[in-house]
Amino acid sequence: MRALVVEDDNDLNRQLVAALTDAGFAVDAARDGEEGYFLGDTEPYDVVILDIGLPKMDGISILEQWRRSERNMPVIILTARDRWSDKVAGMDAGADDYVAKPFHMEELLARVRAQVRRASGHAKAEIECGPVRLDTKTARVTCNGQQVKLTSHEYRLLAYLMHHNGRVVSRTELVEHLYDQDFDRDSNTIEVFIGRLRRKIPADVIQTVRGLGYRMSSDGDAG
Amino acid sequence: MRVNSLAFRLFVTAAVWTLLVLPIAGYLIYSLYREDVQTSFDGQLKKLVTALAVDSMTATSGVPESPTNRYEPLFEVTHSGWYWQIKPVDGTVGPTLVSASLATANLPSPYELKYPADAAGMRWRNDKGPAGEPIRIIELMDTPGSDSDGSQQRYSIVVAGPLDWLEALVTHFRSRLSTALALAGLGLLAVTIFQIRFALLPLRKIEQGLAAIRSGDAHALEGALPAEIEPLRDELNALIQSNQDIIDRARTQVGNLAHALKTPLAVIVNEAREDKSGLGGKIVGQATLMSDQINFYLDRARMAASSGAIGRVAPVLPVVEPLTRALERIHRERGITISIDCPEGLRFQGEKQDLEEMLGNLLDNACKWAASQVYFTAALAGTTGRASVRRILISVEDDGPGLNEEQRKRIGKRGLRLDETKPGSGLGLSIVSDLVQSYRGTLSLEQSPRGGLAVRLELPAVQ
Repeated sequence: MRALVVEDDNDLNRQLVAALTDAGFAVDAARDGEEGYFLGDTEPYDVVILDIGLPKMDGISILEQWRRSERNMPVIILTARDRWSDKVAGMDAGADDYVAKPFHMEELLARVRAQVRRASGHAKAEIECGPVRLDTKTARVTCNGQQVKLTSHEYRLLAYLMHHNGRVVSRTELVEHLYDQDFDRDSNTIEVFIGRLRRKIPADVIQTVRGLGYRMSSDGDAG
Repeated sequence: MRVNSLAFRLFVTAAVWTLLVLPIAGYLIYSLYREDVQTSFDGQLKKLVTALAVDSMTATSGVPESPTNRYEPLFEVTHSGWYWQIKPVDGTVGPTLVSASLATANLPSPYELKYPADAAGMRWRNDKGPAGEPIRIIELMDTPGSDSDGSQQRYSIVVAGPLDWLEALVTHFRSRLSTALALAGLGLLAVTIFQIRFALLPLRKIEQGLAAIRSGDAHALEGALPAEIEPLRDELNALIQSNQDIIDRARTQVGNLAHALKTPLAVIVNEAREDKSGLGGKIVGQATLMSDQINFYLDRARMAASSGAIGRVAPVLPVVEPLTRALERIHRERGITISIDCPEGLRFQGEKQDLEEMLGNLLDNACKWAASQVYFTAALAGTTGRASVRRILISVEDDGPGLNEEQRKRIGKRGLRLDETKPGSGLGLSIVSDLVQSYRGTLSLEQSPRGGLAVRLELPAVQ
């Protein structure tokens, strides 16, 4: 899962990036409106945390422009202006949720996870795929009730596949959604991580669709 | 018309002036008329007595003779009030001649009664006639024959005319004059009232203009006004403008302060959470307290700024619709729908932002607790008393678990949250309650027939 943080306060930006990274996201950070707009417009993020009061370009304008050009990723607005008129303006501009400063990081993370799940069509906090269960709240993975220990890269890969289970996910999409923009992108690493995952959970849960990518499915049918 | 009013003052001065001047003028006119009538009556008597003297005293016989001319037909009618009499005086021996109207009576001579003569040698006297009627007598002393023969015979020539018709004439005139003056007085008062109304019309216009500003239909006093009150209008407009500027400035400053404080606070809280020593927990606790206090006092500062606002008005529906749109989006994961039952054109008398805060917090609370449905209803309350104090009745209900009576009592208290698992600072309802109070409205919590909590508000409405 890739997340974008657009926040001009350096400390808060750093805290948000750290918290999201800990929660299993590949995070990009922008410190002004123009940079934030550009990243959101060009990179495929799974969630964006957007401050309203930004230098160069304000959050509402950024959001409106993204939505006009069909950038429909979940956006959570983060702002100190907590009047209902501000909230309404943010929601009308196309935000999916609204968090007022100061906020509890846990609450923000809960909302981030909720938006990611909603965007991929999952209503509950737990996603199941055959014997494999992913608890998005605690980032715990179990297989037949047994906890599976994963590295952060393995977790990210599995979480992305599980959020989009039943659908074929290409290697390019995985690369785009699993690594931040500074990461050295080599699609071979995906294959390495898939191999490792198949050793930790039943191998047939992650299917390889030749020439297209991977699919997670509970029926075990290679289709 | 109130006693302490410009109209009353103007009216009273005009009325006093009218009541004072009209009777004086009436009396003057009456006196002049009376004098005029008297003079012309006296002229007639003088003419008659002179003609009588010439006719009866110039005979060559040396004694007075009955006049050949009748002069006045009423001299022939008994006790008509019109009489003449020629009588010897000062020991003169001679005939006494009288008009037929006198019959057997005679008239006393003013000369003999020692009345003084006027410049023309005439004597005047008001008396009663033989029938007791008031008469006016004129007397002329004369000697029969030519003036040159030196005769010492003196005769009193008297002519009398009735005064009652003269009195009747004057009385009639007086009554007609009084009627005319009374009508004129009433007319003047009517004109005065009209004049006052007309002159004070621009004040009424200002009053209506201010009412329009209060109800939010206008932002300043418009239109041409008389020169005297034009400065008043300009001053009022300046006052209204400055009032709005102050409020806008206060709101902006408060917003800026919020922004300036909340980001650092967020950083502090997040940083302290990472710290697992006792210090971190303390900082988090205190920072949270600070944040609550900031919210609490910022809300009150915003409220204080708007409580002095003039002529702010907010239509209810255009406030509710975006709120429900935003809230349904915020709570869409739980599939909450909000139904709105609000007549179009319903308007709240107050700041739009305040209405947004009240309704936003109530609807947000309802969405947090609702199972699937939130009901918003607003309506104009039935008129009680004066039309200017109409109220909006608003109710926000949900189909959630609701609250028992004891919980409902506790929940209004500041910062209290019954369920810590529902997100929110817990300040929502208390700020609503404060806002409602600042608009002199009422807030009550009830059990909704739909299962959950029903929050009912009563707020001032604009016609």
